[in-house]
Amino acid sequence: MKILVTVKRVIDYNVKARVNADNTDVDLANTKMALNPFCEIAVEEAIRLKESGTATEVVVVSIGPKACQEQIRTSLALGADRGIHIETDSMPESLNVAKLLAKVVNAEQPGLIIMGKQAIDSDNNQTGQMLAALLDIPQGTFASKVELIGDKVHVTREVDGGLQTVALNIPAIVTTDLRLNEPRYASLPNIMKAKRKPLVVQTPADLGIELKTHSKLLKVEAPAERQAGIKVNSIEELIEKLKNEAKVI
Amino acid sequence: MSEYNHPYKDVDFVIKEIVEFDSFCQNAGLADINSEFASVILTEAAKLGSDVIAPLNTSGDNQGASLKDNKVQQADGFKEAYQQYMENGWSSLTAEEEYGGQNLPNLFGTAINEIWQSSNLAFSLCPMLTQGAISAIKHHGSEELKNTWLPNMISGLWTGTMNLTEPDAGTDLAAIKTKAIPNADHYLISGQKIFITWGDHQMTENMVHLVLARLPDAPSGVKGISLFVVPKFLLDKEGNTTSQLNDAHCTALEHKLGIHASPTCSMSFGDNQGAVGYIVGEPHKGLSYMFTMMNHARQDVGLQGLGVSERSYQQALEFAKERIQGTHKDGSRFSIIKFPDVRRMLMQMKSSIEAMRALAYVASNETDKSRYAKNAQDKTKHFSRVELYTPIVKGWLTELAQEITYLGTQIHGGMGFIEETGSAQHYRDARILTIYEGTTGIQALDLVGRKTLFDKGEQLAELLNDIEMTAKELQQKPQFNNLAVSLENAITTGREARQWLLDNAQTDKSAAGSVSVNFMMMFGYICGAWLMAKAALKAQALLDSGEGERAFLQSKLVTTQFYFDHLLPRIKTNIAIIQSGSDSIMSLAEDQF
Amino acid sequence: MAILIIAEHDNNILKAATLNAITAASQMGDELHLLVAGLDCNLVAQQASKIAGIKKVLIADSEAYQYQLAENMSKLVTDLASNYCHIVSPATTTGKNFMPRVAALLDVAQISDIVKVVSENTFSRPIYAGNAIATVESLDAIKVITVRGTAFDAAKQSDLSAPIEIITAVHDAQISEFVSEEVAVSERPELTAAKVIISGGRGMGNGENFTLLESVADKLGAAVGASRAAVDAGFVPNDMQVGQTGKIVAPDLYIAVGISGAIQHLAGMKDSKIIVAINKDEDAPIFQVADYGLVADLFEVLPQLTDKL
Repeated sequence: MKILVTVKRVIDYNVKARVNADNTDVDLANTKMALNPFCEIAVEEAIRLKESGTATEVVVVSIGPKACQEQIRTSLALGADRGIHIETDSMPESLNVAKLLAKVVNAEQPGLIIMGKQAIDSDNNQTGQMLAALLDIPQGTFASKVELIGDKVHVTREVDGGLQTVALNIPAIVTTDLRLNEPRYASLPNIMKAKRKPLVVQTPADLGIELKTHSKLLKVEAPAERQAGIKVNSIEELIEKLKNEAKVI
Repeated sequence: MSEYNHPYKDVDFVIKEIVEFDSFCQNAGLADINSEFASVILTEAAKLGSDVIAPLNTSGDNQGASLKDNKVQQADGFKEAYQQYMENGWSSLTAEEEYGGQNLPNLFGTAINEIWQSSNLAFSLCPMLTQGAISAIKHHGSEELKNTWLPNMISGLWTGTMNLTEPDAGTDLAAIKTKAIPNADHYLISGQKIFITWGDHQMTENMVHLVLARLPDAPSGVKGISLFVVPKFLLDKEGNTTSQLNDAHCTALEHKLGIHASPTCSMSFGDNQGAVGYIVGEPHKGLSYMFTMMNHARQDVGLQGLGVSERSYQQALEFAKERIQGTHKDGSRFSIIKFPDVRRMLMQMKSSIEAMRALAYVASNETDKSRYAKNAQDKTKHFSRVELYTPIVKGWLTELAQEITYLGTQIHGGMGFIEETGSAQHYRDARILTIYEGTTGIQALDLVGRKTLFDKGEQLAELLNDIEMTAKELQQKPQFNNLAVSLENAITTGREARQWLLDNAQTDKSAAGSVSVNFMMMFGYICGAWLMAKAALKAQALLDSGEGERAFLQSKLVTTQFYFDHLLPRIKTNIAIIQSGSDSIMSLAEDQF
Repeated sequence: MAILIIAEHDNNILKAATLNAITAASQMGDELHLLVAGLDCNLVAQQASKIAGIKKVLIADSEAYQYQLAENMSKLVTDLASNYCHIVSPATTTGKNFMPRVAALLDVAQISDIVKVVSENTFSRPIYAGNAIATVESLDAIKVITVRGTAFDAAKQSDLSAPIEIITAVHDAQISEFVSEEVAVSERPELTAAKVIISGGRGMGNGENFTLLESVADKLGAAVGASRAAVDAGFVPNDMQVGQTGKIVAPDLYIAVGISGAIQHLAGMKDSKIIVAINKDEDAPIFQVADYGLVADLFEVLPQLTDKL
């Protein structure tokens, strides 16, 4: 079985995002970029499935400007077999990403598509679900366990109340949650090998997709700073504030 | 406990702009290797350093290594961290492909060792010593010896140690007493060694001790010492580790001021039948073999000075930003980074570290340039430069590390004196660096003696000429006028010192030794000024063309200015002291002390 | 045009997150319809019909919707969508699961996890883990939106009952099935995962007194932490330590009790959303970072807090 893994280039999770001076976006110029942590978990899961003999090939795809190839190379260094880069000028909206990926899936015919549940930049948590809908295939989102049992994939999902397990027909989409696995570090020999693994570059036009605009980013602001605190005089007042003002209990 | 974040911006800048690594790779014909690839590899190594190795720095210091039944137990977590280091292949970085290495440039080794050293100085010593042992076997061992030992050492499966010092033979290795008696296809080694770093541990299935010893027919003195490979566990015919312990073990651990997690062992060889050993190269040449590794080993220790300084700086900076200890007129509070004197200390740390990194990396790349030189003349030229840089990198970087880790603790105020704050550990750990692998005094003697007087100051003159090229470049740019003047003056001062040494060393036998440390420090400051000036030129060029990160490049201009304002002026003191000669140093009779 | 809100429930009880989503939806328009899709979920529909602002409740009662599988839910909602300008759901794991499928099937974007309704087509939402707030205008005819519950008040109950309309269409994609579920047992949460943490410092006096914190924690579903001083004094084990050398936490609510606020403790909890400090020393540095400070004897006020929660 072939596994397709999607990876996104995002701000390094150790770096705190800062809003730019004219409040049009987050300032990413010369910011350290990295593989989205959830995507890293997706790559790890795919590699483990390959190592256990369940999967035969791991193909990794990324969409965005040329620099995304760094994250594809990182994924190849972790153990993926080959890469596909769909080159765009900027990061397309989720629905466009899903449409591009749908074309890749149709061409590659993977048995399983593993994606991060969300990217730590846009925090949308939607591309995997959208891709599943476009392909009319089932999804196991927020996965903490993935098992192939017979001709189905069983996905244990982290839901609000606890865990839910679903059985999905194949092909299926799995989106990863943090506890699914602990990603490995790329080894030096694999980093060296990754340089020679195949990586093809395509454009949305090659895939016959025209990118559409569904929403407009009007402004980006820093969240409100922590207000100077107040003193309360009693437990009653404290509880009242926590319930009605802070809304944390 | 403090976190370690790889200072990738400065590292990338030094590799790309100061070392000019890409043009080196092109000239050397290294396909696929460039500064971008360096950055990829460093990013991955930094993850392991920050996430796995750095968190063990404090706990390792608290717990230390311990000895029980002749076995050294390393601090908790070290075995697992080493395992990851090994499995990820980092031990094979610069080693030859023939034995399973990745054969990457020496500069990669330096930049990556900086990560391990900043993460955890005590931990980093184990791989560092292994690299030394690999290098000795690679350069001087027979084919059989190389095939037997190198692959498993390069893969990290076995670690290596260097057994030189004995109770009566430290700096003076001529006094070595350990014996080696021929016995069939091997030798039987017996004797005591002390100060053996990572001399024993339980992290790997086997260990390879490199031991200096005398053959029965050896001439006395330095020309009668041979080098042997002595495994911890004997190998079977196929070269696999057996369960049979060799007659070599650790008898005691030293209680040290710092690097507590690095076991410093007293080793006993041949308490019973004699430890099985195999000779490296030819008899009686052991000490000269040691010298071939010296440049590398000494530069590595210089790099440790950079590593621990960076860690100390990161911790002090974080504290200075968070420690609220000032009050505005309106009653609002502010953190101590606003105080000018705290700024001074942080700037001194920051600009020193940047100069140190530039010098360490430039020096490291000279080894690559020598290796990949197109002709013998270039090879010699770059090798001579390696030789010249080595005592400066070792001596100057480790001396600055004392000052930087001192400042790191000072910035913390009273908290700095408290062990659990963690700043004191860097201060303690740094203290060994000016001592081992040749003290500062030895480095300085090497610089004035073998590296300067020996060739009548030719190498030093060439270095100063190279620095002058940068000074000329500065003169072309009006905004760098003051830097140009300062650098020109520094070059003149350097030439005066060189001339003084050449003029006085013949007539006054104490002259060289009396001025040596000031001489060495002075050339450290001058090299630092040179490379910081280069950095400023490059930063300005990038700013002018609109490339790169403005905030970083602008800060480079400021750290350069600070370096010229606060560190370079120290050479005026150095020259004054040098020119005072040996009189006041040597005049007292010993009884008068 | 009307707004369709999809109810979060377990076939018996309407979940509170739905009420917050309704409030958000009410800021987009007036004609609010609530869809209850499940199995034997009539009770939920009854509860839904009594929420202020809801004009109509739609109930889709079928085995296909018992576990609200995304494959089936998305087809049901898409089928109803043509009558609506907004489709709104709470940003719970259920909503996050099926709503993007709805958006894709409708060929529109989803605006995820909104914290503010600026206008009927413009919304604010946190990005970069809350380090920035983006304001986004939707250009689509149908707006598919998930709502962060904590950002909106809960809708109130009404005396009137909205009419309940039965949806008979059954969408069973038959590509996925429910296998099992494991509801989290109500042990105290892990420090690093807890939404609420109550920590004690040296002011607790001894280890036994930490039971005072535990009583509060049980009421709030909180984890119990401690400052280094309390750990060093031997009150509690080291794994409870919050701080630079212990665990770094960022819960929604952090209650520091009898903790002076040493820099190393602050380093471990300063990113908490709301910080409450209870300390009898009014000059304790902890008050400088606390949103709500109570200068009081903790032995007096902790039992009160337990009683009144």
